[in-house]
Amino acid sequence: MSASSTPSPAAPLPRLEEAKASFSGLDLAPRLEQLGRDGWESLDEITLTVHLKWLGIFFRPVTPGRFMVRLRLPNGAIEAKQLTVLAELVDRCGEHGSADITTRQNLQLRGLLLEDMAPLMAALERLGLTSRQSGHDNPRNITGNPLAGLDPEEWLDTRPIVQAIQSALLGPGGPRNLPRKFNVAVGGAPDSFLLHNDLAFLPALRDGELGITVLVGGFFSAQRNELAMPLGLWLRPAQVPAFTLAVLHHYSAHGNRSARNRSRLMYLVEALGLDAYRAALRATYRDLGGADPDLLDHDGSHLVNRAPRDLCGVHPQKHEGLCWVGLNVPMGRLEADSMAELARLAASYGSGELRFSESQNVVIADVPADRAEALLAEPLLGRFPAVPGPLLAEAVSCTGNHYCGLALIPTKSTALAVVEELERRLEFPEAVRTHWTGCPNACGQPYMGQIGLMGAKARKDGQMVEAARIFLGGSMQNEGRLAELHHKGVPLDELPDVLEALLIDNFGARRRSAAAPLSVPS
Amino acid sequence: MATPLSCAVSRSPTLDAPLDPADLPSPANEDRWEWLQRLRAGVFPLEPWLAAIEAGRVPPDSDLIAVLADRLDGAATVRLLRWWLAQPLRDPALPQGIAGHRDPVVATALRQALGDDSSTEVQVALLPLLGHQRQSQDFDLLQRRALEPAPRQQRCAALEGLGLGLSVWPLGALRSTLIQLTTDLDPGLAAAALDSLARLPDGRSSLLAVRSRALEPAVTARLERRLRSLPIRPLLLLVHGRAQGEIPAELLSLADELRERRGAPVLLRALTDPQPADLPTLEHPLGLVPLLLLPGEHVRHDLPRLRLELRASNSLRVLPFLGSWPIWQRALAAELSRQVADRPSPPASPPLLLHHPIASPLGGRYLRLLASITGATPQEAAYSSERFEASLLRHQGPVLPLALAANRLTEALTPCFGAAAAPLLSRPALRQVLLEQLEALP
Repeated sequence: MSASSTPSPAAPLPRLEEAKASFSGLDLAPRLEQLGRDGWESLDEITLTVHLKWLGIFFRPVTPGRFMVRLRLPNGAIEAKQLTVLAELVDRCGEHGSADITTRQNLQLRGLLLEDMAPLMAALERLGLTSRQSGHDNPRNITGNPLAGLDPEEWLDTRPIVQAIQSALLGPGGPRNLPRKFNVAVGGAPDSFLLHNDLAFLPALRDGELGITVLVGGFFSAQRNELAMPLGLWLRPAQVPAFTLAVLHHYSAHGNRSARNRSRLMYLVEALGLDAYRAALRATYRDLGGADPDLLDHDGSHLVNRAPRDLCGVHPQKHEGLCWVGLNVPMGRLEADSMAELARLAASYGSGELRFSESQNVVIADVPADRAEALLAEPLLGRFPAVPGPLLAEAVSCTGNHYCGLALIPTKSTALAVVEELERRLEFPEAVRTHWTGCPNACGQPYMGQIGLMGAKARKDGQMVEAARIFLGGSMQNEGRLAELHHKGVPLDELPDVLEALLIDNFGARRRSAAAPLSVPS
Repeated sequence: MATPLSCAVSRSPTLDAPLDPADLPSPANEDRWEWLQRLRAGVFPLEPWLAAIEAGRVPPDSDLIAVLADRLDGAATVRLLRWWLAQPLRDPALPQGIAGHRDPVVATALRQALGDDSSTEVQVALLPLLGHQRQSQDFDLLQRRALEPAPRQQRCAALEGLGLGLSVWPLGALRSTLIQLTTDLDPGLAAAALDSLARLPDGRSSLLAVRSRALEPAVTARLERRLRSLPIRPLLLLVHGRAQGEIPAELLSLADELRERRGAPVLLRALTDPQPADLPTLEHPLGLVPLLLLPGEHVRHDLPRLRLELRASNSLRVLPFLGSWPIWQRALAAELSRQVADRPSPPASPPLLLHHPIASPLGGRYLRLLASITGATPQEAAYSSERFEASLLRHQGPVLPLALAANRLTEALTPCFGAAAAPLLSRPALRQVLLEQLEALP
């Protein structure tokens, strides 16, 4: 093993690593009620801003005193009764309350006070939900096929695998202090593009048997972007949880803790070399009680061969007579009333089950075909359309500078205004995926967009103005391709014109007749 | 068929320049981000940065402030705050970017900046931050700013400040302030006050207190949503009961209405029931409410026994017996006062509290306390009018039987005293008090 990624035993740990090692934020859980009742003056800043994230509680510097809670929704699945309670929790935050569907099929609630945390955590427990270890240096929400179990095209139902991984990771043998955040995903359908994850499991055949091939090392950051590479191992679904534990234990022990910008899994794989890394995982898996001979070699081929489908609209499920109805949630932003109404629709028209997608949209499951038309006539679909415009359907956005101090532009509102303006001006032969992010940290995954946009500043008429860098060429087809920089900074008020030209030149868009340009708020 | 991928993109050149404010790339420079990340990751003296901002050499852009904020101590925060206050054109977002840390020095600076002569712009930006500092002495200022006639944004900012420090303010004053604000003409302000009210200890009781007020329809709907969502215990009302566990109609009716109002199970158990039914499995901890009026044998012996029995199968919160509730004692006094007031002329004799025989010293002390609160004389009454003392039969003043529902005592008294001997739950005011108290229980 190369030691370049790991500090020598004598090297002092960075302050943050010392803080992480000295105390587990999970130990704060029993104190939440007391903190809510007596105030939280006793918490030092590191506890407030770092350790609470182990419970999924985020101090937000942009809204001091108003916290965010990030849940864990394995496979993006949620029940109507759960969403109803979450809607109430957001509602009590009034104008400060909202929720975002994230690019990890997850939900994060905003505007909460620390006094809300104990009742919120109790409510989550009653509902069978958790927010545990959803932030900071932890394994993040585990994603899966948002149509798992409904999908006529799926190779395998990802839900039980994803759930089993979560149980393993949050169970007594799970990791509690990783060098950095860690993304795990399980694909089950031909359109499960997951190569941006540190650890991706994709459906694959081996000697005619359906199983899972392992890919490692995908991540986006301000410094570097990588797609996951085949590890060369093939698993049966039952092996996946223990194997995931092995990957994380090895990463916890050997990952780089001295430089946070070089600590994602890919750096460890590079430091060891792929063959040595694979061998080390086999050993760790064996040490954890896994059966080593069962970790079979594989050529890395898999059954994912096309970009993710647009989930919006009415689609037949694998179950005779039932449909899923996908709704577009513009930029993934939910308010209390829309959350409650979504829950009502899911319970009234379907089985009560909903799924969130990585494209920040929502699927209502198990709608009888003869009730789909009535569902489409519901007023909420005026806000969350089942047939959105070709840009809106695939627009993904980070939270923006309203809630994040790092974002350089108001991402969601800008994205929505620009997308609506472009749809007003242009006709499109097919949907175009735009990914919007407020800063180089790339939470909005701009490198995955056919068009990626990143918040920036630019000079215009001698003034510094809000702007966006433009990336082009991202693909989520079979092997994937990352978008590359096309423009260093377009002032936001010029963005519709610049994107209009790009869409015409590169994506076959055509101008509608008599469309007059509108200004975009900057 | 997939092949290993490695798609590195967008690498910036390594920056070796010293991290001096003068070298900070402009916001339009693509190297700025990495430069700021190096600044964030490193150890740097803060002073040059503060000085550069104060001198106008470095603009306090949000990305720079986000990096500096982690390093600001109280004194540095105060410097930046004063710089911000001195600017002719202020970025309203800056204070929340720098004053997120709680520090008494920062609280003092905020307090000073929020003097009566400060502008609305300053108030709007700083009042929430003052609340976030959670210093109890600031309650008065926040309260005043929330209530006074002023621009809406200022009042909202003050209310947000109250919300952010909720648990450190004096509870009684906070509760009455919030209750007052729930009827504000601004529905947004009223809604925010209501949401804070719901978060207070015993929030359910506070919310019920505003239910009868003239609220905007949207606020009323919000109130009902808050009430529905507050956790509520199932209640077990422990009553004396009649022979063979029969429960009088007044208590059955009380339980029915209470069930309706609370939207949660309300169970009844009579001490006289020879074979009480098993309790159903309950999702929430059970509230055991002894609707007993005197600290007699039932309270001192039967109740602890029952508590042990129930605790074996349920999480339990046991309330004191009803007769010990101060609000109930005051309600008895008010009931007697009403009787006195209803008479055309002052009664010839003082009111009587009629109770069944009680022998313990504790019972005696309790009755003396009740006498001092109600101004009535406790009088033991037998269960048969034939055994009443002559003085009781001659009594011309008001009487109050210490019996919630019809029992042998009230039945014995009725031939002598008529409607005046009615059990307590037959009296609308007393029934209402009890109902409201039980409804407000968490």
